[in-house]
Amino acid sequence: MKPRDLGVRFAEADARERLRAIADVGTFRELAGPFARLTSPHLAAQGLVAQSDDGVVVGRGRLDGADVALAAMTGEFLGGSLGEVGGAKIAAVLERAVNGAVLVLDSGGIRLQEANLGILAVAEICDAIVALRERAPVIAVVAGRVGDYGGMAIALTLCSHIVTSEVARMGLNGPQVIEQEAGADEFDASNRVLIWRTTGGERRVTQGHADVLARDSCSEIAADVRRVFALPRNARRTSVERLRPIVDAAAATATITRHA
Amino acid sequence: MSDSRGTVWSRALMPDARDATAMPSVLVLDGTIAAQPWRILAVRPNPEARFARARGGELGLDEALALADALHAAPADAAILAVVDTPGQPYGLREESAGLHVAFGSAVEAAIARRSAGGPLFALVVGKAISGAFLTHGLQAGWIGALDDPGIEVHVMSAASVARITRETPAEVARVAAIVPATARDIRTFARSGAVDALFAVRDPLAPDADELARVRTALASARNAGAGLRPPLARLAADGAQTTRAAALRVRAHIAEQWNA
Repeated sequence: MKPRDLGVRFAEADARERLRAIADVGTFRELAGPFARLTSPHLAAQGLVAQSDDGVVVGRGRLDGADVALAAMTGEFLGGSLGEVGGAKIAAVLERAVNGAVLVLDSGGIRLQEANLGILAVAEICDAIVALRERAPVIAVVAGRVGDYGGMAIALTLCSHIVTSEVARMGLNGPQVIEQEAGADEFDASNRVLIWRTTGGERRVTQGHADVLARDSCSEIAADVRRVFALPRNARRTSVERLRPIVDAAAATATITRHA
Repeated sequence: MSDSRGTVWSRALMPDARDATAMPSVLVLDGTIAAQPWRILAVRPNPEARFARARGGELGLDEALALADALHAAPADAAILAVVDTPGQPYGLREESAGLHVAFGSAVEAAIARRSAGGPLFALVVGKAISGAFLTHGLQAGWIGALDDPGIEVHVMSAASVARITRETPAEVARVAAIVPATARDIRTFARSGAVDALFAVRDPLAPDADELARVRTALASARNAGAGLRPPLARLAADGAQTTRAAALRVRAHIAEQWNA
């Protein structure tokens, strides 16, 4: 049997392509885009060049006709880090969203160079996700090469549904930070098998930390987003009752096999 | 082992409180301040914690779930005070494999749910307030107070970790912090962002005296009576300090507000 054509790979697409692929054809309208000249004021003093969109693209569009907010990161600018401008963009569209939102997260965490302003933005984003979610779906897509770490990984868990792929991974601390802080004996950041086996998209769906494992395809991810958009929220993801046995099992595990 | 800053302040603020602690590393106290019911929550060290990387006061898997439980199960009429003093989150494979971000999400969820349902949330920063641990324990509060003390640290990472990542000397890190306030870690700079509602002078942060405690209690009671514990994080952008420190965020929001229906 001939394998089905997956079309454009989601992981290879940039933020605007990702949002155009998800929104109803021709409906995505970018807001606070590159021509608005809203760049980070904090980077030049640290010897870094700001980017015209600060690594985050946001806007308004339709999803099966519903009027939704859309936001995407590509993970390319400064490691997919979230700074003041990018954080404010995401919070602002979530606060204005009418019938729901789609967040494409590809984030290495809060931007070290804008530290505390990034933290404040994530607190606002978490609150905005929950406020919107009470009246309309907030769908997260984590299917990029960086995955989702740090503050935006906490925000991720609050979303109504999470669509991911085998390409992606999710966690609080990334392998490099753990290796640096706790040593390679704790987490060897070059051990890709270990990283995906413990934190990869497929594992997160099996665990119940994410909802849908999509193939790395723009059209398939767009279809999955539409499908879960019509479903009631997965409220169990962050319930203590569900998480307690997972944490107990982790505590009872003496060591995690580091080599397959 | 001497008591942590978080333990000292929690107990001193409500000396007659009932101890409702379910797990040693998350102190839960039910008592009264100015004749109103409060529940104080503080993460503190426990050298016997079952996760080795969360024995020094870090907010780990067990601590996050205990915070979520304590928020859900708090007396209905109690205001919550998160006493913040944590070096951050544990860096471990076991934690990541289990899903530390989801455990944190459960505590954030519980805090937002409580505030949204009319339960006031307050935070008092008495020690370190680092990154995900601060997002999970403190930053969803409607009102944040802090000690005006050089031992307070607010950042996304410990100073030592930042130095390892950036390979910068402490002098270089300090030079950048002086010109880019977002990267500073002292409480006075953080307060200038509009995120801190009150700073409290203290002589010895490990031994608050009666006057110092009375000032904090009075501030908490009047903030509660003013409804400050119900404000969403977004309200911080309206603070005076935010108008200059967070000017870029305000510009972005103004732009999107204008273009949304254009």
